[in-house]
Amino acid sequence: MELKKLGTASVILLLGAATALLPGKIHAQDALSESGLVGELEGATLVLDPAAIPASFSEAPMLAERVGAGELPPVEERLPSEPLVIQPVHEIGQYGGTWRRGFLGPADGENGNRINASDKLLFWDHTGTEIVPSAAKGWELSEDGKTMTIELREGMKWSDGEPFTADDFVFWFEDIYNDRDIASLISDMSPGGKPGRVVKMDETTVQFQFDEPYFLFVDMLAGDTLIGGGQSVRQARGQSYGAYAPAHYLRQFLPKYAGQDAVDAMAAEDGFENWIQLFHFKKDWQLNPELPTIGPWVTVEPINTPSWVMERNPYYWAVDTEGNQLPYIDEIVMSLAEDTEVLNLRAVAGEYDLQERHIDLGKLPVILENAEGSDYSVHLDLAFNGSDTTLQFNQSYDADAEMAKWIKNADFRRALSLGIDRDQLNDTFWLGVGIPGSAVPADSSPYNPGPEWRDKWSTHDPDTANEMLDAIGLDQKDSEGFRVRTDNGERLRLEVQAVKAFLPWPQQAEMIAQQWKDIGIQADVKEFERGMAVGRTHNNEHQVMVWTNGGTELLYLFPRHAIPVDPTEAYVGPKWGTWYASNGAEGVKPDDPYMLEIYDLFRSAAGQKEEERYKTAQEIWKIVVDQQYGIGTVGQSPALMGVRLASNKLGNIPSRVCIAQHCRTPGGSHPETWFFKE
Amino acid sequence: MITYIVKRLLLALVTIWAITIVSFVIIQLPPGDFVNSYIAQMSSAGGQVTIEETKALRELYGLDRPIWEQYFAWMGRMANGDFGQALEFRRPVSEVIVDRLWLTIVVSVAAIMLTWMLALPIGIYSAVNQYSFADHAFTFIGFIGIAIPNFLLALIIMYFSFKLFGANVGGLFSPEFERAAWSWAKVWDLAKHLPLPALILALAGTAQLVRIMRANLLDELRRPYVVTARAKGLRERRVILKYPVRAALNPFASTIGYLFPFIVSGSIIVSLVLSLPTVGPLLLRALLAQDIYLAGTIILLLGVLTVIGTFISDLVLMWVDPRIRAGFSA
Repeated sequence: MELKKLGTASVILLLGAATALLPGKIHAQDALSESGLVGELEGATLVLDPAAIPASFSEAPMLAERVGAGELPPVEERLPSEPLVIQPVHEIGQYGGTWRRGFLGPADGENGNRINASDKLLFWDHTGTEIVPSAAKGWELSEDGKTMTIELREGMKWSDGEPFTADDFVFWFEDIYNDRDIASLISDMSPGGKPGRVVKMDETTVQFQFDEPYFLFVDMLAGDTLIGGGQSVRQARGQSYGAYAPAHYLRQFLPKYAGQDAVDAMAAEDGFENWIQLFHFKKDWQLNPELPTIGPWVTVEPINTPSWVMERNPYYWAVDTEGNQLPYIDEIVMSLAEDTEVLNLRAVAGEYDLQERHIDLGKLPVILENAEGSDYSVHLDLAFNGSDTTLQFNQSYDADAEMAKWIKNADFRRALSLGIDRDQLNDTFWLGVGIPGSAVPADSSPYNPGPEWRDKWSTHDPDTANEMLDAIGLDQKDSEGFRVRTDNGERLRLEVQAVKAFLPWPQQAEMIAQQWKDIGIQADVKEFERGMAVGRTHNNEHQVMVWTNGGTELLYLFPRHAIPVDPTEAYVGPKWGTWYASNGAEGVKPDDPYMLEIYDLFRSAAGQKEEERYKTAQEIWKIVVDQQYGIGTVGQSPALMGVRLASNKLGNIPSRVCIAQHCRTPGGSHPETWFFKE
Repeated sequence: MITYIVKRLLLALVTIWAITIVSFVIIQLPPGDFVNSYIAQMSSAGGQVTIEETKALRELYGLDRPIWEQYFAWMGRMANGDFGQALEFRRPVSEVIVDRLWLTIVVSVAAIMLTWMLALPIGIYSAVNQYSFADHAFTFIGFIGIAIPNFLLALIIMYFSFKLFGANVGGLFSPEFERAAWSWAKVWDLAKHLPLPALILALAGTAQLVRIMRANLLDELRRPYVVTARAKGLRERRVILKYPVRAALNPFASTIGYLFPFIVSGSIIVSLVLSLPTVGPLLLRALLAQDIYLAGTIILLLGVLTVIGTFISDLVLMWVDPRIRAGFSA
């Protein structure tokens, strides 16, 4: 007991000592690996051999009771003929229990989406590197890359017991996706700008057909994309993507099937202004407990009440290797915390059974100090993206010609990058556990262009930075040593827009601004509320935006934090991003040949096979880092969703999990295999 | 006097109408709209919002229409008792507010009672025993109470009550009662959780009230009528409580107007820190999300409560203070 306490205390000391006394990252990382907080990547695995499907099945006591009462058919009839067989990471679990967790209110739907992430057709394995089936039994991409055939599980059912078939895909495609009142066309479904089709072959076979080769489509279906994300995330919050939808339930809310008058009347009765709002409500699993879904848990108390409560889906189509229907845990209760501080304190008090979302890395010492008393263990899961804090330079900025000139100057950006002391940032804000460097993903990633690109323009070298700034014409300084504008001789002021969101970005930006004093650059850090910052970036008003580059480790599935291709978040150039996304119809065409080259490479990748695609991505990363559109600082850290507190009562908890957008943390480690030991 | 009351009532109606305009304009003032905050939320969750979708969303919620058109649509619906859909919660605004209203009132009334129960006796004691040791002690504590931001106090007290007593962190119920139906056990659970937030909410107010009460009473105590009462041989207790204290209470009656809105959204930050399921954090959330209907309705509610409160405080003043009543007959 005492020893354990000593252990956690010495970890903090070690981290502290390493960061304070020794030069740099390596020692802090060593201390980290010795601390036992960072484990080996592990997780539940799938058994895909049809011969390994258990001969008989069993179910949770709460469902057996309902079967006995005649409310449910027996488990054999609820499962598909070929259920997904999951081998839990450590042991076969037992049924029961309530998983207590915290959430932040109606906007925190992602908290539950991610737990139900296995409702995707394809998914990634626990390492985040290999694509495996999930709701779909199998897939086959044609030789020419134009046709993707999806095989469904025969006898698979929605959570209300109705069959889940190819008709649900056609319904989604024809009646939801192609209804311009409900959804808009997405690039995920339109390789080369040409819209694709969804076609039913038979009850359990669906084809996605395209006019252009679309080898990337397998990754798209497995990724957290609009097409592949699954029903829970992609049909919530007013969005209408995700490839399939419960036709038998949703038809009653569409004018085409129910009649315009009927849907108008229903909308009016429920207090909605029109039928579209009603439809968005009815197909949202977070809000509507009646909605049939296919994830492991279904909503029983909606997200817009003080507790978001989920219960096991009696028709969930996965079993463990002994034939026990999953999930093991009966119920999930998320209780509302009005604020992340309270959520963290509750986690520390042991009021949650498993929580990684909204946990603040900065609180690690307090978290470790209370681990024994509150009976939880702490895991640090390291991410694969290069930079948790990235300074994105707006290349389409045009409000101030002089500033725009410098923001678009590559040597200006490179010099600013060399002016940043990443080790100081790492020690202060990442407790020394991050890896400093450029924005490129982890060296182990097939997208990584090579280890030398980690340091490219991304070391601390104020002397070179000063020389470069002098050389590009910013050699005049005012009385306080700051460089001045070339048009009016006043001090050059770079506006850095920061939001206090996942990390204390405003404080980090202030530290960078201090460091830039050594190279004569005045940075004004402006803190904005998140919605307002988004509004400003959409209006092309920001000069520099501080944000994570999370997600870019899979460049094609989540490119927007690295290159401006998606107007949702085109921090590197909103007008350029709009130009790219609208195929040149709107926005402004880049006048930067390097960006045009990136666009060409990116566009061509969708039709390339895997190995070639990786090479293309590496080329893109080389340009991105060489041009320093986004200055990387510190990454591959547990700062975003990587500090995991797991109750010691829980079994099958992996020692380290993949944290990434496409791993849908914690969904990628199959929460349906976690269980309460007593 | 009747004409005075009628006049005040009419004026109140005009004021409320003005408040509807002001509250609607206020929430439109910050740049951007609900769609911006929606995109911010979607994108931080990895979602993607296309250009067409952005346009469609503004159309769907009527945010593309001119502000006066939105205002009249809102007013028209309110005339029918429909406050609209809370955009983020996607439930009717009235439901979202009523959900939290009762607990809000319980917490606030408890805080106000506690404030009065502490402040009035201490204020009277301090005034009567001016410059005594106890007066100095109360003054010292009082100034600390005013100076420390009470959200900070809330955080500190919350951490230590968890560390030392293993209490639940924040909220008004133990986890096992959070979802339970109302029962005596649940009421008792609420009663157990109430003192901490009530005390923290009450502290700053108490410190202020003590100072006001003390100052008012000191003014009154020096008046000739007090000397006269004493000279006539009234008992000290009666001398003080019957006359000067009553006169010193005047300022309290006139602040009833501000008490009403306090009951509904008192101290947003403390409620947020303590994670109280009350209207305060709801208002903050609505403002951040630029949810015009929810924020507008809460601001309107606060405005209306202020107007009603002021009206009532006028009536109360007339009742407690004969000098005001005399003003009408003269």
